[in-house]
Amino acid sequence: MSESLGDAPRKLGLDAWDQRYAALRQAGLSEPEYGGPLGRHVFERGDLRLRHLEFDNSAAALRLWNFLLTENERLRQARTRGEKIVGTMKDLGTVPVMAYALPRVRAFYPDGAWWTPCLMECSDGLLQQADLQGIDGSFCPVRALLPAFETEAHFPQPDWLVCSTGAVCDDFTAIAQRLERLGHPICWWEMPRRRSPDPGEPACTLPGGGLAPAVQVQWVRDELERVRAGLSGLVGQPLTDEQLRDGIREANRVRRLLGALREAAHGAPSAPLPALELLVAEMLTLHFCSDRDETVAVLAELLVEVQTRCAQGHAVLAANAVRVYWVNPVADLRVLNRLEEWGGRVCGSDYMFTHALDLIPETLPPLEALARTALADPMVGPTADRAERIVAECRAWGAEALVVARIPGASHCAREGAIIREEVRAKVGLPTIDLEIPPVCDAMLPTLDSRLQALLEAARARRST
Amino acid sequence: MQIFFSSPWIPAEWIRAHGLEARALGFAPDLDLAAARPGAGVCAYAEAVVGWLERHAESAAVFASTCDQMRRAFDIATRRAPSRSFLFNVPATWQTPTAGQMFRAELERLGRFLEALGGRAPQAEDLVRRLADSNGKRRRLLAGAPRCRAHAYAAAVARFHWDGSEAVIEPSGPLPAEAVPLALVGGPLPMAHWGLIEALERAGGRVALNATETGERSLLPQFRLDQARTDPVAALVHGYLGHSVDVFQRPNTRLYAWLGQQVAAWRIRGLVLWHFVGCDLWRAEAQSLREAFRLPVLVLEAGEGAGDSPRSLGRLEAFLELLKSAASNPAVAATADKPEAHPATEASEEPR
Ligand code: SF4
Ligand code: SF4
Repeated sequence: MSESLGDAPRKLGLDAWDQRYAALRQAGLSEPEYGGPLGRHVFERGDLRLRHLEFDNSAAALRLWNFLLTENERLRQARTRGEKIVGTMKDLGTVPVMAYALPRVRAFYPDGAWWTPCLMECSDGLLQQADLQGIDGSFCPVRALLPAFETEAHFPQPDWLVCSTGAVCDDFTAIAQRLERLGHPICWWEMPRRRSPDPGEPACTLPGGGLAPAVQVQWVRDELERVRAGLSGLVGQPLTDEQLRDGIREANRVRRLLGALREAAHGAPSAPLPALELLVAEMLTLHFCSDRDETVAVLAELLVEVQTRCAQGHAVLAANAVRVYWVNPVADLRVLNRLEEWGGRVCGSDYMFTHALDLIPETLPPLEALARTALADPMVGPTADRAERIVAECRAWGAEALVVARIPGASHCAREGAIIREEVRAKVGLPTIDLEIPPVCDAMLPTLDSRLQALLEAARARRST
Repeated sequence: MQIFFSSPWIPAEWIRAHGLEARALGFAPDLDLAAARPGAGVCAYAEAVVGWLERHAESAAVFASTCDQMRRAFDIATRRAPSRSFLFNVPATWQTPTAGQMFRAELERLGRFLEALGGRAPQAEDLVRRLADSNGKRRRLLAGAPRCRAHAYAAAVARFHWDGSEAVIEPSGPLPAEAVPLALVGGPLPMAHWGLIEALERAGGRVALNATETGERSLLPQFRLDQARTDPVAALVHGYLGHSVDVFQRPNTRLYAWLGQQVAAWRIRGLVLWHFVGCDLWRAEAQSLREAFRLPVLVLEAGEGAGDSPRSLGRLEAFLELLKSAASNPAVAATADKPEAHPATEASEEPR
């Protein structure tokens, strides 16, 4: 659509996008039900941060953003239609595959409240309310979910809550426990800390290529069996293996589309899509933004846009942009814009849920396949494993620098950032930085900018040597 | 070889049954709790465990997987001392057969690690004897709690976890009758921080319940000897998994149930929640503790010293004052339900 209007790929601020929206509509743009100008999210939902972001100018990106930003409304509509809503927490990508295998069930991650303070520029007061509930700034931004449950102003109350525990971060497990004490019962399922198999110990290959002891896979499978029982109880009918197989196939459709998108975007000599849209696209794999079919449509359109741009040699960023590998999600989305402003592009990422991007094995018994997927979570195993994958991807995508985004308060960040950077420096020789990014980083922008500039400068200097 | 363990939920009896010395790291005299950089978001206890292992090339350490901080500390330790570090996966859930299977498999894996370090394969009879011995010591120590002043009691518990020996609990001199009974709640309370106990007493309180890892809570595992005679490993699994009480468990209802009994039994009038900087698991419980027991809660961070820094002392005194006035004035006592009404507890809510 953007090409048909003769517009070269570029990034637009919110006002410019709304003007473009009018032009697109005039030119015959047809949209799904949740469509509309991006600017409306600012006054309708209070997503003030959008005013400070820049977006890709394609109709595909418009659809992506509208899809993301209307999730809560769509969930409420589903509730009105009598569908069951599952709040699935922490595992990032596994339980939703099971939930969506059932008819008239939607699963979402209340964890997504992580981004609400950023999107609403803290105007929602969620962090302040979390403070009053005893969960202060020593916890990561996911603490926003606690008041979000209480106020019900963001997402609807789930009919059932399920949360992985064991080898998960302290922030989340502590906050989820507090949530349960506040009267929201939770089905906890155990995620063992993944380890390497001992010599001679039976082992299983995980999606992504890692290995885990077979006995750990069996435990997770048993735990997912309990989750299956819970889901079946919720809808009053058994969740069968056949349904799970279908669910896995559908999830893999999404994952394949995303894989193709990443391949095309990261592999292109010049960036065909900005980092923000790529991040949002990756997030869709977690719980399909509460609509699995629509996720397929959104990603398919985005992929066509990227492939078209690549075929025509069009890019959204300068051809000589420094290729940066990004580790961890950014608490403030604006930082990804800034990286690009200073001449960088994201050419690879580990936003802490790489296991939600890998294909789920389709030839195994379904719960076995899902157990292996869950165990491949980069956050439940040794940091060295995570670093190994990052090193491999840095090489594969030709990264020239690495950024570890530090999440304020997160229990894992202090240690893992150091290990990842050490490994990347030692094995790929890239310049690296560790940036702590608060949900609204405006006050820190000068510091963040200068650190990003220094990193990009160091990467450019390496080109000449 | 000495095998040090980071948590009371690592079965010391199992290590000793391998012919090795088992010692609780929390009571190592040279544990350097000052090593963690303040503000770095790292738990000083977890950091100290890593540092300690680095300095002791002749020893090995068993880390418990019970929190992210400790698992990440293990990530560091395993880079620096791979053959001397072991991470024991203690399940957070305990109600399912899977949790029992995990615990048992971890015991067996730990056994292989210990044998690789020179330990011998455990003999069933020896293990049963050790479990019986441990049962007796744990019971006697628990029974001795009411007769013993808190500092001496902490020393007795530490000694048990240090080398498995049992200190004779001598009745210690009483505190003034008006001393306010308190529960000290939290995770590890290494010796360097025992000054907190005296500081509480000086401020007019007494630690009637020590619910840290240096107190009664750490002694709860009990082993079924009838089961041990046929399957001692199963008895060990059941003893730990069935009786451990901690904040990391999901749900952590056992902690609240146990605390509830103790709070009632000892007529506790206030809780002191003691935690290390960076310890999300304990810190997050402050509000739930207030709500569950309807008692004032003072949150103290280990970064504030051993409870005897001027700032901590001021807060302790204010807290005890509040409790004393609550006793004589029901209107003040009623405010105990509302955290914002307690200056002492409010002051604790500042960000790190
Ligand atoms: S950002 Fe890190 S600490 Fe926070 S919920 Fe996610 S994994 Fe946990
Ligand atoms: S004090 Fe808290 S953070 Fe530190 S090791 Fe213990 S539970 Fe973990």
